[in-house]
Amino acid sequence: MQTVLSVRGLTKNFGRLCAVNQLNLEVKAGQVFGMLGPNGSGKTTTLGMLMGVTNPSAGEFSWFGEAPSHTIRKRIGAVLEHPIFYPYLSGQKNLELNATIKQADPANIAKVLELVELTARKDHKYRTYSLGMKQRLAIASALVNDPEILILDEPTNGLDPMGIAEIRQIIKRIAADGKTIILASHLLDEVQKVCTHYAVLRKGQLVHSGPVDDVGKGEELVEVNAYHDDLGLILQRFEGAKSVKKDGANYSVQMNEGFHSHDLNKFLFSNGIVVSYLATQKKSLEKQFLEILSENKPA
Amino acid sequence: MLHLLTIDLKKLTSYRTFWVVVGLYFLTLGFTTASGMEFLKWLASKGAEFGTSLNINRIPLYHFPDIWQNLVYISGFFKLILAFMVIISVTNEFTYRTIRQNIIDGLSRTEFLLSKVLTNVLLSVLSCLMIFFIVMLTGLIYTPNLELSYLFSDIGFLIAYFLEVFAFLSYALMLGLLIQRSGLTIVVISLSHMLEFILKANLDDRFPSIIPFFPMESISNLVAMPFPRYVFQEIQDYVSITSVAIALFWTIAFNYLSYLKLKKSDL
Repeated sequence: MQTVLSVRGLTKNFGRLCAVNQLNLEVKAGQVFGMLGPNGSGKTTTLGMLMGVTNPSAGEFSWFGEAPSHTIRKRIGAVLEHPIFYPYLSGQKNLELNATIKQADPANIAKVLELVELTARKDHKYRTYSLGMKQRLAIASALVNDPEILILDEPTNGLDPMGIAEIRQIIKRIAADGKTIILASHLLDEVQKVCTHYAVLRKGQLVHSGPVDDVGKGEELVEVNAYHDDLGLILQRFEGAKSVKKDGANYSVQMNEGFHSHDLNKFLFSNGIVVSYLATQKKSLEKQFLEILSENKPA
Repeated sequence: MLHLLTIDLKKLTSYRTFWVVVGLYFLTLGFTTASGMEFLKWLASKGAEFGTSLNINRIPLYHFPDIWQNLVYISGFFKLILAFMVIISVTNEFTYRTIRQNIIDGLSRTEFLLSKVLTNVLLSVLSCLMIFFIVMLTGLIYTPNLELSYLFSDIGFLIAYFLEVFAFLSYALMLGLLIQRSGLTIVVISLSHMLEFILKANLDDRFPSIIPFFPMESISNLVAMPFPRYVFQEIQDYVSITSVAIALFWTIAFNYLSYLKLKKSDL
């Protein structure tokens, strides 16, 4: 697969503060790449450097294998932090301006407005828009040049659940078109739902990167309950159980490698117990994320 | 080039403040420069009340070729209004953070600056056209015995006027980029002459030779005050090459400093 972004040793110091430290990254065509990290971990600073608004202190990066330049930026669509537009211009006029800067076909404007469902409000001034509409206009402006890569930084920040679902739908629709997307977020659920790959940043350092599918591989955690007083003791005897914990009303069983919930069910049934509740807990990205962060906590 | 100018004009032409400020500028510029004769008539009628007679036809305010220097000199005072507009336009980009998005969208920092500089050129050219139009109109009306050779003999003042406006707008653009807040920038530019004057007053005794090299001084030296000639004093009735050279130097310096500032900063 073609490498669209390659970052080597990228560093940014603000005075004595090191916002991004020796970052190496690789994003390939067609990936939906999630950049995770707590607030202030250097996500936006990194994207700022990649988009030419922040001057790197050290290191280098390349887009499509070429040295960065403003011409290359015209092939990328990006919204960093929050939507930025001229408040006194209408949505339509703002997009016209974006299209002029990007030297994009003005015919795209109607298309992207339709995609983000803003056609009806296009002639209203930007400052009259709700936050959700502003975010959607930002996505429209990022798409107006039909970019090969889309960069979104916290695209659902501050939105209500409906707005979040809408934006997520839009992102999925765009990803289905085969576009490469880089998505920075601290909402892990969001990344897990839309991304194919992810990287975790902490205090400007890359602490983990890999495919999202790998999350949740490995040992299972099974929650179980039954109308039986000695359930806890019996569970202890199960050879597939690594550990058994009482967790509220239920027992949560950490399984050994190679054992699954149906093995546990079979075991209980053969012991004369019929379960009333059985659920496999897939490890969520959230858990993984917190683990990664705590593992990498400097002493 | 035209592409960059289009970008900046797209930002401005839907901005109501722009039309109000620029509209008022051209309106006051036009009316003030065109109504000198009315002013003289008013002066004469005031004088008549106190028994002094003023023969306004003896003052060739609007006669070719005097008219060029007279009107250009008066027009110079209005450039401050235009500078305010330039400041608002550039500081808005920082307030709204749109400069950041412009760069993200694929404008280079140099192109961004160039789009602002080109607008400055356009505003300066429009000011010159306005004055040219008014000089032609009023000159042809008021000059009694029109001699064609005098018509354009002093048109050099119009070129000096272009430099005067463009140099000052370059200064405004640089201040806006450095300070990034419209209110503060407007205060600083309004006080620039005053601050420079204080400095000059303190240096006048010891180093009088460096006075013409001050930036504001060099801009106002381009067109000397013409009116004392009507009370038979000697004035500088030409554009001196030295003052053009100094003003040109400052114009380039202002724009180059803007470039350096923009190149270095994180937006």
